[in-house]
Amino acid sequence: MLTFLKNMFKQEDHSSRRQANERLRVVLAHDRAGTSSQLMETIQEEIIQVIAKHIEIAGKPEVNFIREGRHSALDISIPIKGR
Amino acid sequence: MEKSQSTGQVIVVTSGKGGVGKTTTVANLSTALARMGYKVAVMDLDIGLKKLDLILGLENRVIYDIVQVIEGECSLKQALVKDKRFPGLSMLPAAQTRNKDDITPEQVQKVCDDLKQEFDYVFIDCPAGIEQGFKNAIAAADKAIVVTNPEVSAVRDADRIIGMLESAQYKDINLLINRVQNDMVKSGNMMSIEDLTEHLCINLLGIVPEDKNVIVSTNKGEPIILNQRSQAAQAFNNIAQRISGEDVPFLPLDDNSFWSKLIGLGRSLLPAR
Repeated sequence: MLTFLKNMFKQEDHSSRRQANERLRVVLAHDRAGTSSQLMETIQEEIIQVIAKHIEIAGKPEVNFIREGRHSALDISIPIKGR
Repeated sequence: MEKSQSTGQVIVVTSGKGGVGKTTTVANLSTALARMGYKVAVMDLDIGLKKLDLILGLENRVIYDIVQVIEGECSLKQALVKDKRFPGLSMLPAAQTRNKDDITPEQVQKVCDDLKQEFDYVFIDCPAGIEQGFKNAIAAADKAIVVTNPEVSAVRDADRIIGMLESAQYKDINLLINRVQNDMVKSGNMMSIEDLTEHLCINLLGIVPEDKNVIVSTNKGEPIILNQRSQAAQAFNNIAQRISGEDVPFLPLDDNSFWSKLIGLGRSLLPAR
């Protein structure tokens, strides 16, 4: 019963509000940097290729925009294979 | 009551996207400040697509326009339309049959310098877009109000406008969020005030709830600030007071529908997930 009530009153996880915020976060970061998601993918691939030339990479690197106020930074996390 | 500052302040109201409520904002903030006893001028820079005269209900009193002032066909004083309902308020109309390239930022600056001598506040109603009309409108102001709605395209345009204002060395950029529907925010279908301030990262000047009375007032050519029962009116009056330097708290955004109260009660009684 409690579960039923919880489901009835809970905040919708996939709410359109959340989707709006997520889409805006990405689009504003690109707008401010004057980039596109296509360019970001190219940069990501090239950086990974450079690293992979020297070190063995384990798993999939992650690329994110970090925002502080109205400024953005590119955050690339590359997992390196241990010995 | 006659209040006067040492020099008039020029405030541009802009948004990038059209239809978010720039002209309504200019009309209501200017009339609210005039009602508080300030001398206020409003300048419509949407040349070719003028609206402010109609929203203020002054469309039948327009004789000259800003382009005629700039081209020397009449004096600034002749072109200013005085609002009989608000003795402190004057409007400088846009030209309807000309276009935005007919004037330059320097010419707008000159008109503003003249208006600043006589008025406490000069509001500039900026056209939508980022082209010549926008450049004319931001040339002369000391302060900017960016109007947006809790809607992705309006926020994206507002962000672009804020970037352009920063490039133009603006230091005083303020956010006005218009047409907020709190029941939709609560049900997860509209971005909240916090969401928008997080995206845009500028000072929040005011929040105006969605209000059907705005359309009624527009139909009549009356500013909404005179409607005692309107939530939007109260919000605009509060924003006008903030502009004049008073510290007015933000209105609680309540929606009073039965269902939203019931859902709110339900959430408060249940343990957090």
